Amino acid sequence: MNGEILRIENLSKSFGGVTAVRGCTFSVTQGTVLGLIGPNGAGKSTVVDLVSGFGRPDAGRITFAGTQITGRRPDAIARLGLIRTFQTPREWPRLTVLQNVLVARCAYSREALLRTIVRGRSIRRDELADQIKVMEILDRYQLADLRDIKAGDLSGGQKRLLEFARIAAADPSLVILDEPMGGVNPVLGTRIGEAVRQFADDGHTVIVVEHNLPFIERICDEVVVMDTGEVIAQGPFDSLRDNPRVVDAYLGMDQSHD
Amino acid sequence: MYWISVITESAIFAILALGLDMVWGWCGDFDLAFYGYLALGSYMTMVLTIGKPTPPTEYILGLTLPYPLAIVVADVLVVALAAIIGAVALRNLREIYFAVTTLGAVSALYLIVEIYTPLFDGYNGLFGLINPGQSALNLTYNGYRQVFMVIVLVILALTYLVVQRLSKSPFGRMLRAVREDERAAAAYGRGIFFAKYRAYLFGAALAGLAGGLFAAYISAFNPSAWTPQELLVIYAAILVGGRGNPRGVIVGVFVVYIGFIELTRYLPSPASRPEFAPALRQVLIGLLIILMLRFRPAGIFAERSGGGRASRAEGPDPAVPDPAQPAGLGADS
Repeated sequence: MNGEILRIENLSKSFGGVTAVRGCTFSVTQGTVLGLIGPNGAGKSTVVDLVSGFGRPDAGRITFAGTQITGRRPDAIARLGLIRTFQTPREWPRLTVLQNVLVARCAYSREALLRTIVRGRSIRRDELADQIKVMEILDRYQLADLRDIKAGDLSGGQKRLLEFARIAAADPSLVILDEPMGGVNPVLGTRIGEAVRQFADDGHTVIVVEHNLPFIERICDEVVVMDTGEVIAQGPFDSLRDNPRVVDAYLGMDQSHD
Repeated sequence: MYWISVITESAIFAILALGLDMVWGWCGDFDLAFYGYLALGSYMTMVLTIGKPTPPTEYILGLTLPYPLAIVVADVLVVALAAIIGAVALRNLREIYFAVTTLGAVSALYLIVEIYTPLFDGYNGLFGLINPGQSALNLTYNGYRQVFMVIVLVILALTYLVVQRLSKSPFGRMLRAVREDERAAAAYGRGIFFAKYRAYLFGAALAGLAGGLFAAYISAFNPSAWTPQELLVIYAAILVGGRGNPRGVIVGVFVVYIGFIELTRYLPSPASRPEFAPALRQVLIGLLIILMLRFRPAGIFAERSGGGRASRAEGPDPAVPDPAQPAGLGADS
C-alpha cells in the first residue's frame, strides 16, 4: 500500500534554447494524492507530458510501477495503467456520453478486427456484462440521464464530470489530472474534490496539477512545488507554508514588480 | 438489360464506397488513392485470368487462373500496395497533408501504368475478361449478366453485414474516438497509427474486391477508366447517404449512380455535343455536394456507432437538469 508507484529522476527537457524542466526528481507513494504546484512556466505541464509519453525527455528516468517508461509512446504508457487528463476536457464530441465512457473502459481485446468479424457475438456479450459497471459510473457522476447525448453538446461542467467518469471507467493505478478546476464553479469544485479523494480511497494514486491552493490543501496528502523547471520543495502542505523558497516562488514575482 | 447493368455497377461501387467510408467516415482521413486500389484490383484480376499477351500487346504474368482465385490473389496485392502507402501517409500526416500524399501516390501509380507498357499495356489497357465462367455455367449472355448481378449483390450484402458489424463494434467506436481526438485516444491507450492502419487495409481490401468484380463487369480496363474524378462521385455518394453509416453509404451510392444516370438520360442532349451529358453530370455532382453540406451535412442516415443508441438530439435536452449547475447539485447527496 505504501510502495512507490512513480519515481522521476533527474528529468530534463528543453524547447529550443528554453529549459522547461531541469533535473527534476520526486516520487509518488501509492494510494496518495500528490499536488504539483508552482507559478506559470514552472514546468508542471511539461513534467506531465514527459511522464505520460506526450514528450520525450532530454535526460532522466521515469519509473512507473517498477517499469522504466522513459520515452515510451503515450498509448503504451496508458496501457500500463497511467491515465492523464488535459487542461481542457478532451471528450470525443460526436460520440455519446455512454460511448465516451465505453471507449475509456479500455477493453482493448474487444477491439480486435478479426475477432469482431468472426466472434462479434462474444464481444457483445462481454460488453453487456460490463454495462452494469458502466451505468454505475454514469450514475455516480450524474450522467446517466445524459448518456445518449453527444458529448460535444454537454456544458463545460458536465464535460469535467465526464472526464472523471472516463477515468473511473479506465480504472488506472495512477491518474494525472492537469488543472481539473479550470473554469469550474465552487459547487462543482467541491464535487470534483470529493471525486479525487474517492479515487485515492479506492486505492488509486492521483497527481493533481492545480493553481487553486485551497483545493490543493484540502485534498492532497503531499505537495511538490516547482519553479523555473526545478523541484524546490516536497512535503505535506502545512510544512511548505513557511518554506522561504516556496513563498519566494509564489510571491517573488509580485515583489519584483515593485 | 439496362437496369441489370446499372444495378451491377452501383453494387460494385457500393462495395468500394463501404471501404472508403471506413477510412474517411470512421477515421476522418480524406484519401484520394482509393480509386487506385480499385484499378490495381481490376488490372491484376485481368492479367491473372486472360492468358498470354499476343504481340504487339504486352503485360505481365498472363496467367489463366480461375476468376474467383484471381480476385483473391489480386486483392492480396492491392492490400500490399495499401500497406506501403498507408505506412507512409498515416503515420504522421493528417488532413490536407494526408490527402496530398495519397493523391501523389495514386498519380504516380497512374503514370507508371500509363507510360510503362510492359506492365498493363499502357494507355491501351487490358481486355478479354469476358463473362468468366459463362460456358461452365451453361448460360446465355443475358442469363450470365443476370447471374453476375445476383452474385455481386450477394457479395455486397455480405460486405455490408461485415462492415456493419465492425461499425457497431468496439472497434468501430474506437476508430471514431481516434477521429474525434487523437491525443485523448492515445491517453486512453490507443495506438493511433495501428488503429487507422487496420481500418485502411481493410478498406483497401474492399476496394480491391470491387476492382476484381469491376474487371469482369466491363471486361476491359485502361487508364481512362480510372481518372481521379471518379473518386469524387464516390465521396459525393457517401456524403449524400450518410458518412460513417454503412446503410447510408449503400443508399447514397444507389441514389447518386441511378439518380444521375437517369437524370442525364432524360435531359435534352444536343447531338452535336456528345460531351454535354458527362459534363453536366460533373456539375450536378458538385451542386449536390454543396446542397447536402448546406442542408443536411450528416447525410440521409446519420452515423450510429456501437455501444448504446446515438442521440438524435441536436443539442442537450433542456428537460435534463445540468448537474454542473449549482442548483442541480444542491439536492445531490
